[in-house]
Amino acid sequence: MSRNRLALLALAVALFFIFAVLLSLALGPANLSPAKVAKYLFSGQQPGDAGSTIFWQIRMPRVLLALLVGAALALAGTILQGLFLNPLTDPYVTGVSSGAALGATISFFFNMPAVPWLSLFAVIGGVATLFFVYSLARKRGVLNIYQLLLGGVTISYLFLALVSVLMIKSGRDMHAIFYWLLGSFSGRGWTEVKICAVIIPFLAVPFFFVDEMNILLQGEERALELGVNVELVKVVLFFVSAFVTAVAVSVSGIIGFIGLVVPHISRLITGPDHRKVLLMSVFIGAAVMALSDLIARVAFAPSEIPVGVITIFFGAPFFIYLLKRRT
Amino acid sequence: MSVFELTDISFAYIEQPAVRKVSFSVEEGTFVGIVGPNGSGKSTLLKIMDRLIAPDEGTLSLNGRPLASYKRRDIAREIALVPQTFSLDFQFTAREVIEMGRYARKGSGNHRWSVQELLDKLEIAALADRPFPELSGGEKQMVVLAQALAQEPRVLLLDEPAAHLDVSYQLRLFDWLRKLNEEGLTIVCVLHDLNLALLYFESMLMLREGKLFSSGDTETVLSPESIESVYGVRAYLHRHAGRTFLTFSPRARAKRKERVHLVCGGGSGAALMRELTDMGFLVSAGVVNAMDTDEVTGRELGLPIAAEAPFTPITNEAFDENMELITKADVVILTEVPIGTGNFRNINALERASAMGKNVWVIKGVAGRDFTNDAVRALDALGGIRYFGGTREIIKELSEHE
Repeated sequence: MSRNRLALLALAVALFFIFAVLLSLALGPANLSPAKVAKYLFSGQQPGDAGSTIFWQIRMPRVLLALLVGAALALAGTILQGLFLNPLTDPYVTGVSSGAALGATISFFFNMPAVPWLSLFAVIGGVATLFFVYSLARKRGVLNIYQLLLGGVTISYLFLALVSVLMIKSGRDMHAIFYWLLGSFSGRGWTEVKICAVIIPFLAVPFFFVDEMNILLQGEERALELGVNVELVKVVLFFVSAFVTAVAVSVSGIIGFIGLVVPHISRLITGPDHRKVLLMSVFIGAAVMALSDLIARVAFAPSEIPVGVITIFFGAPFFIYLLKRRT
Repeated sequence: MSVFELTDISFAYIEQPAVRKVSFSVEEGTFVGIVGPNGSGKSTLLKIMDRLIAPDEGTLSLNGRPLASYKRRDIAREIALVPQTFSLDFQFTAREVIEMGRYARKGSGNHRWSVQELLDKLEIAALADRPFPELSGGEKQMVVLAQALAQEPRVLLLDEPAAHLDVSYQLRLFDWLRKLNEEGLTIVCVLHDLNLALLYFESMLMLREGKLFSSGDTETVLSPESIESVYGVRAYLHRHAGRTFLTFSPRARAKRKERVHLVCGGGSGAALMRELTDMGFLVSAGVVNAMDTDEVTGRELGLPIAAEAPFTPITNEAFDENMELITKADVVILTEVPIGTGNFRNINALERASAMGKNVWVIKGVAGRDFTNDAVRALDALGGIRYFGGTREIIKELSEHE
């Protein structure tokens, strides 16, 4: 791909990102004009101004959370697809999402379905699963990527079965749990944003390993031959992608297809070079998530549909298109 | 000075020992080949030398320092490996793939070769901007070689680099390796093709069942005897057109008791000699002139041959020697050898064979090869001769002739 075309595409993605953010801030049950959005943005929250309060207390945290979660899932998906050398990988194969789901379900079960308990239980569930799967796959100082995948998938099934049991047991909360599992940003505020903000430094880590990630696309053995400290890189990338996934899931539920499809879209635009793909994934993931949440809010207003349903509705056909295109 | 020093290296995969107590050293600037049958531990040994696997026992030093004490990146600066298989399904260009070889050299400013120089050197500049997955097998191999050279190693290890290459790429690759070696690069190469080994390598290591069977200069290591005991096939060393090369035959399918004598010359008997020997017959031939293709072939196969000096008519001595061989034979075959005054006594030998009651077989068309006009008549006068259409028919007859 020529430099010019790449620059043009990067510009297009940047504009798309800004457009997605502004549109998500503007639209909702109460539509705001671009001028209003600009005014609220630059003047900060004005006490007593209802519009400003809605903007800063409801819409802004919700959009920021969607951006963060979208970026995290897309980044984790990109990393893991490269690490597993498997285009069908998404951030949930590591099992941490099911761990987070189990944690969240437990908090519902014990009647603590409110912030921060829900998110805290979910983070604990996700991170504990991360370490468990990691210990399953590590033998004699070597992290076995296939065991990581198999262990993660197995744990996912096991935990989702446990979630089902708890859902049935809890009876009246079944609806709430089910809704949570589908993924949503409904009712999320600054607390969730603060929880989720811990992932920001972790999102930066993979950018220090772009050369290694490119080389790893030739397989672990070749990467060793070329001088890459493969074990270190695998461990770092696995922990980063699993951790940001666990945190993202803990504040939003299990939102599908972003982590699967966005890396593919990004690679279509930039080619496989991680120096470009990672950044592209972060921005496209964030923008697509914000737009999906926007649709979730306004499509059937005043009622909301879970954002996970929206991402699947748009993601699945797009992925099928990609598959057909490739063959 | 030796670059590599391996002492009593052993390694076992889960059950099967792959390398057993191997010791050798690789001198700086040498071009060493490693041969051995499938599963003899060649690739494993190469992986041990690049520290992709750690040996169970033994010591391995690089530049006099234990290899285990090197960091991964430092190993990659000293040693580059061209692997047997290489897969990359992502759409990187050839140039980007080669640049990945620079990883271990990142931060060091001065390069022996720029990536463009490597592309030019290996004559693959035209591929530079093409996506790697779309290249042919041979082109990929050259790109991977360039990637390995981008590491600017002191030692280049290659695992069967020629396995998937056509003859043009094979020669290009090995010519390049030779040139790089002359520039000072130490090269250790695992390969299957023993003739390529004879053509290019100074010294060899031969492995059998994980053990070092022999080492030394190439022609000594690749002696027919060694090849027979390591590979279990018969090997014959030929010198032709200024080259030394090997041909191979399966071990005799069955030892046969029949003796077949060929009356041949000028290369008319070489194919039969080889085929019948491979089938397990005891083959002899005569009278042929020394240095004649049939004489050389017979000698290489180790057959008893009655020979006359070059360009000399058959003397009594050679005739008698030939008759001795014929006397022992069960079948005497006249090949498509031209008959002139110099070798007419071979027809006399056939007359005697017929008189002894031997099976005398003749390939049809003698008249066309008879420059004396007496041979056809002489053969017609003999009873009990069988005529065949060609060597194929003779082989068929003999193989059914249990």
